[in-house]
Amino acid sequence: MQTADFTALTPLLLLAAAIAAVMLQIALKRSHILTIVLTLAGLIAAMLGVLAVGDMPARQVTPLVTMDRLAFFFIGLILTATAATALLGCRYWEHAVGQCEEYYLLLLVAALGACVLAAAHHFAAFFIGLEILSISLFTLMAFARRRMASVEAGLKYLVLAGISSAFLLFGIALIYADVGSLAFPIWTARLQAAGETVSPLLLIGMGMTVIGVGFKLALVPFHMWTADIYQGAPAPTTAFVATVSKSAMVALLLRLFAPVDFTAEPALFWTLAILAFASMIVGNILALRQDSVKRILAYSSIAHMGYLLVAFLSGGPAAIAATVFYITAYTITVLGAFGVVTVLSRTDADADSMSDFQGLFFSHPWLAGVFMAMLLSLAGIPLTAGFIGKFYAITAGAQGGIWWLIITLVLTSAASLFYYLRIVVAMFSPPLENKTQPPAAGISYSGGLVLTVMTVLLIWVGSAPGPLIDLIGRITQ
Amino acid sequence: MDVNDPVTSIATIWPLMVFLLAATGLVIVMIGLSALLGQRHWQRTTGEPFESGMLPTGTARIRFDVKFYLMAMFFVIFDLEAIFIFAWAASVRQLGWFGYIEMLIFVGFLLLALFYLWRVGALEWGTKR
Amino acid sequence: MILIWLIAIPVAGGLAAWLLDKWAPGAPRWTALVAMLLNLLIGLRLLAPAEGPWLVAIDVPWIDAFGIRFHLAIDGLSAVLITLTNGLGMIAVACSWHEIDRRRGFFFFNLLWVLAGIIGVFSALDLFLFYFFWELMMVPMFFLIAIWGHENRIYAAVKFFLFTQIGGLLMLAAIIGLYIVHGRATGIYTFDYNALLGTAMAPPTAMWLMLGFLIAFAVKLPAFPVHSWLPDAHTEAPTAGSVILAGLLLKTGAYGLLRFVIPLFPEAARTFAPFGMLLAVIAILYGALLAFSQTDLKRLVAYTSISHMGFVMLAIFAWNELALQGAVIQIVCHGISTGALFIIVGMLQERLHTRDLRRMGGLWDQMPRMGGMALLFALASLGLPGLGNFVGEFLILIGVYPVHRTLTILAALGLVAASIYSLWIVQQAFHGRARETRHRLTDLTGREGTILGALVLAIVWLGLYPQPVFTLTRPVLDRMLQTARSAPATPLKITLAPAATARAAGPVEGDWHADR
Repeated sequence: MQTADFTALTPLLLLAAAIAAVMLQIALKRSHILTIVLTLAGLIAAMLGVLAVGDMPARQVTPLVTMDRLAFFFIGLILTATAATALLGCRYWEHAVGQCEEYYLLLLVAALGACVLAAAHHFAAFFIGLEILSISLFTLMAFARRRMASVEAGLKYLVLAGISSAFLLFGIALIYADVGSLAFPIWTARLQAAGETVSPLLLIGMGMTVIGVGFKLALVPFHMWTADIYQGAPAPTTAFVATVSKSAMVALLLRLFAPVDFTAEPALFWTLAILAFASMIVGNILALRQDSVKRILAYSSIAHMGYLLVAFLSGGPAAIAATVFYITAYTITVLGAFGVVTVLSRTDADADSMSDFQGLFFSHPWLAGVFMAMLLSLAGIPLTAGFIGKFYAITAGAQGGIWWLIITLVLTSAASLFYYLRIVVAMFSPPLENKTQPPAAGISYSGGLVLTVMTVLLIWVGSAPGPLIDLIGRITQ
Repeated sequence: MDVNDPVTSIATIWPLMVFLLAATGLVIVMIGLSALLGQRHWQRTTGEPFESGMLPTGTARIRFDVKFYLMAMFFVIFDLEAIFIFAWAASVRQLGWFGYIEMLIFVGFLLLALFYLWRVGALEWGTKR
Repeated sequence: MILIWLIAIPVAGGLAAWLLDKWAPGAPRWTALVAMLLNLLIGLRLLAPAEGPWLVAIDVPWIDAFGIRFHLAIDGLSAVLITLTNGLGMIAVACSWHEIDRRRGFFFFNLLWVLAGIIGVFSALDLFLFYFFWELMMVPMFFLIAIWGHENRIYAAVKFFLFTQIGGLLMLAAIIGLYIVHGRATGIYTFDYNALLGTAMAPPTAMWLMLGFLIAFAVKLPAFPVHSWLPDAHTEAPTAGSVILAGLLLKTGAYGLLRFVIPLFPEAARTFAPFGMLLAVIAILYGALLAFSQTDLKRLVAYTSISHMGFVMLAIFAWNELALQGAVIQIVCHGISTGALFIIVGMLQERLHTRDLRRMGGLWDQMPRMGGMALLFALASLGLPGLGNFVGEFLILIGVYPVHRTLTILAALGLVAASIYSLWIVQQAFHGRARETRHRLTDLTGREGTILGALVLAIVWLGLYPQPVFTLTRPVLDRMLQTARSAPATPLKITLAPAATARAAGPVEGDWHADR
C-alpha cells in the first residue's frame, strides 16, 4: 500500500471514520441531534473527499477495488442519497421508536457496503460489499420494530437475500473453477474470448451472477420481495433501498457486463434482454392492480430497472452513459417521491393508501406539487429528469437497433401513466371528510430541504441536462 | 487438453461422478438395509424419546432468555475476529510496521465495538436499567 | 426575441396569476387577460409577409450532447395559427370570468401554460423541442379537465391523457428513429427540422417512422379510429377547456400533419394517402351521424368537431394547393365557430344547469340575443356562404375532387348532415315551446356579448374576405408542396422503379397523386 492508494480511498476511509465516530458518540452520550450532525458531517466529508480526488487517474487499490471516475461518481451518488435518507429520517424517527440513533449508524454502514460494491473489481469485493449492504439493510427494514409489517419485511429480505447470496456464491465458485481468477477483467476477457462456445461452467456461473444482480435490482423473475418490502419497511429505508442499493448494483452491472461485446456473447444478451422485457411487462401490469402507493412505486421500480436495462443492452457507445444517466435521474426522482411519503407519514404508520393522499393538493399544495413532479418524472413527461433519462434510453436503444425492446418500453410506459395518474388524481380529488390531516406538526425543515433540493435537481436536469451529460461523458470514456 | 470438448471434460470429472454415486449409494444402502433388516414393532414406549432410562418430563420447547442468544452471538463474532489476528500473526515479519498499524486499527475497532456494547447495556444479564 | 416573448408572457402570466391568487380574488383573471392581450398585440406584428422562408427565428444550442437546439421559427402558417391561439386564448380567459369559482389562480396558471405550450408547438422547428412543447401542453390540460370539469371529469381526463400520451410516445420513438437514420446517413446527429427534411431512407423505414408521427397527430386531430377520447374530454371540460381543446389542441394535430408528416416522409405519406383520405371521409360521416343522435348539447358539438376535422385531414392527404388553402381556412374557422358554440353551451349550462337538449326548447323567447348568436354559429358550422367555414369546406372539396371523386362526393354528404345537426341544435334548444317551467333567464350580459361579438366579427370577416390568410400562408404551402415533390428524388433512385421517380419529380398540379 502506498500513499496514493490511501488518497484514492479517501472517501471510503472518511466514511469508515464517520462510522467509528457515530458509534463512539452513541456509546458516550445518546443524542439524536448529535448523531444526525455527526452522520451528515461524515457524509459531507466523504463527498468533499470525492470532489477532491475524483479527477485523479483511475487507480487499482489492492486486487479488490479500483477507484476510477465511474466509482467516484457512484460513490458520490450513494453518499448524496444516504444524506437525503438521513435528513428524511430526522423527523420520522423522532417519535417512532424509543432509541433511533443506531439507524444512522446502520445507514452509514450500508452506504459503505454500497460504495465498496460501486468500486468492486473482484468477486471477493463484490461479495463483501453485498453482504455489508444486505446485513445492514435487514436491520434498517425492521427498524420500526413495533410495526409487524416492518419486522416482516426485514425477515423476508433476510431469507430472500440469503438465498440470492447463496446462488451468487455458487456462481462465483463455478467461475473460479473455470477461469482460475476472481478478478473482473480476467473473467470478462475470458467471456469475450470464448464467444459462443463458452464452457458450461462459465455459462452457469454467469447465470448465477445474473441472479445475484437481478435480485438486488428486482428484475422479474427475482422481484418477489419488492412489493412487500417497499410497503413494509419504514419509508426512509424504502427510499434507501430503492436508490442506494440499486445504484450500487447498477455500477456493478456496468463493471461486470459492460466490457462484454453483446454481439459476441448472445447468451448473455438474451438473458438480460428477457429479464428486461419481463420486468417492463410484469412490473407495469402488477402496478396497475395496486391500491397502495408504496406498492405502486415498488412495481414501478421493477419496470424502471427494465427500462434501464434497455439502455444498457443497446451496447453502443451511448449505452453506459445512458445507463448512468438513467440511474441518476431515477435516484433523484425516487428520493423525492419517497421523501413525500416520509414527510406525510405519522408515527404509527406510513402514508400509504390512496386515501392518505386524497385532497393533498388542497391541504398541502407544495407537497402535492413536488409529489406530482416526481410522478410525472417517473412517467417520463418533459421538463423532468425522468423524461431525459427515458429519452436517452430510447436513443441508445435505437442506436443499438433493439427495436422490440424500445417498442415494449414505449407501450409499457404509456400503460404506466395510468397508475401514476391515479395517484395524481387522488391528490386533486376533494379531501375526505372525517380525516385527520397528516402530518399534524407540518413539514420539518430537514424534510423540506430534501424535497426542495430534489425538485430543483429534477427540473434542472430535466430542462438543462447538458452539464450532467458532459460529466457522465467524461466518466464513461 | 481442451476443456470445452464434452468427452474430455467428462473424462476429467469422473472422480467427482464416482464420489457422487458412492455418496448417494451409501445413503440408499444405509436406509434401505435398515428398512429391510430392522425389526418392526409398535409398543407403548416405542415413540417416546430415549433419555437413559428416565421418563422425560415437561415440554421440550422451553423459552430461553434472549440473552443466551445474544451472548452466543457475541462470542461467535469476537471469536471470529480473532482469526484475523492469527492470519496477521502468521506473516507479521513480512508486513512489518505497516501491518502492525493496520492491526492496531483493527483491534481498536473491536474495542470500540465492545465499548459500544458495554455502554448500550448489551453485556448486562439482568433487566435493562 | 419576439418568439421568446410569445411563450414567456403566458408562462410568466400563469405563474403571476397563481401567486396573486392569495392577494386578491380578482387578480388572477385580470393578470391572465392582460397577459393574453399583450401576447395578442405582440403576435399581430407577425402577420406580415415574409422575406425569406421564415419571418423570425431563434436558434441557440440547448443540449449539445444530442444535437438538440432551441430552435423556434415562424412562417405565415405559424403566424396565423399563433394569432388564432392568442385570440381564442383571450376569449377562453374571458369566458371563464365567472364560471370558475374555486382555485382561480391555479386555473389561470394551467390555462396560460396550455396556451404557451400550443404556441411552442406552432413555432418549434427542432423535433425534440416540438415534442417537449407537445407534452407540455398536455399536463395542464389534464388538470383543467380533472379539477374544474363536470361530473365525469376524472374518467375523461385520464382517457384524454392516455390517448394523447400513447400517441406522443410513439412519436418520440419515431423522432428518435428519424434522428438516428439521418445521423447514420450523414454523420450529423441533429433534431433540426430543416436538416431532417429530405432524409434518405428505405421505404419500409419511412413508413414505420411516418406511422409513429401519424398516430400521434391522428389522435389529436382526431381521426376516425382513435377519436373516442374527444367526446368525453370536450363534454367534461370546463368551457374554457372545451374552447381550447376544440379551437386549438385539435389544430396542433392538423398542423403536425402539414408541417411534419408529409414534408418529412413524402413518399410514405403518398402511399398512405388513400387510407388517410378514406379515414377522413369515415370521420366526416361518422362524426356527423353521431352528432345528430346526441342529446347532450356539448357532446353533440364535440362530435361535429370530429366531422369538421375530417375535412382538414382529407385536404391534407389530397395535398394540392387548393385543398391545403381550404384546410388552413377550415382550421381557423372551425376554431372560431366551434369555440363559439362551446361558449354558448357553457352559457346555457350556467343558466339552466343542464346540457340536455330534451330539457331545453323555447329559449328564444327569453334570450333572443343568445338565440341569434347560436343560430349564426350553427349556420357557420353547416357552411353557409358568407361565413368562414364555407370558404374552407368549398376549397377543400374543389381541391379533393380531381384527386378522388367518390370520396369527394361522400364528403359532400357530410355537409348535408352538418346542416341537419346544426339546425337541429337551434330547433331543439331555442325554438318550439319550453319543455319545463323555469325561472326568468337573463339574456347575454355585456361581457358575453363582447366575447361572442368578437367571434362573429372574425367569422364574418373570414367568410367575406379571407384573402389576408391566403396571402400569408400561400408561400408556405407552396414551399411545402415543392419540398414534398422534390425531396424524395434521392432515395427513390435507390428504392423505386425509375419511371415512378420521373413522375414523382414532375411539377404538374395534383401530380402528387398522379400514379394512381
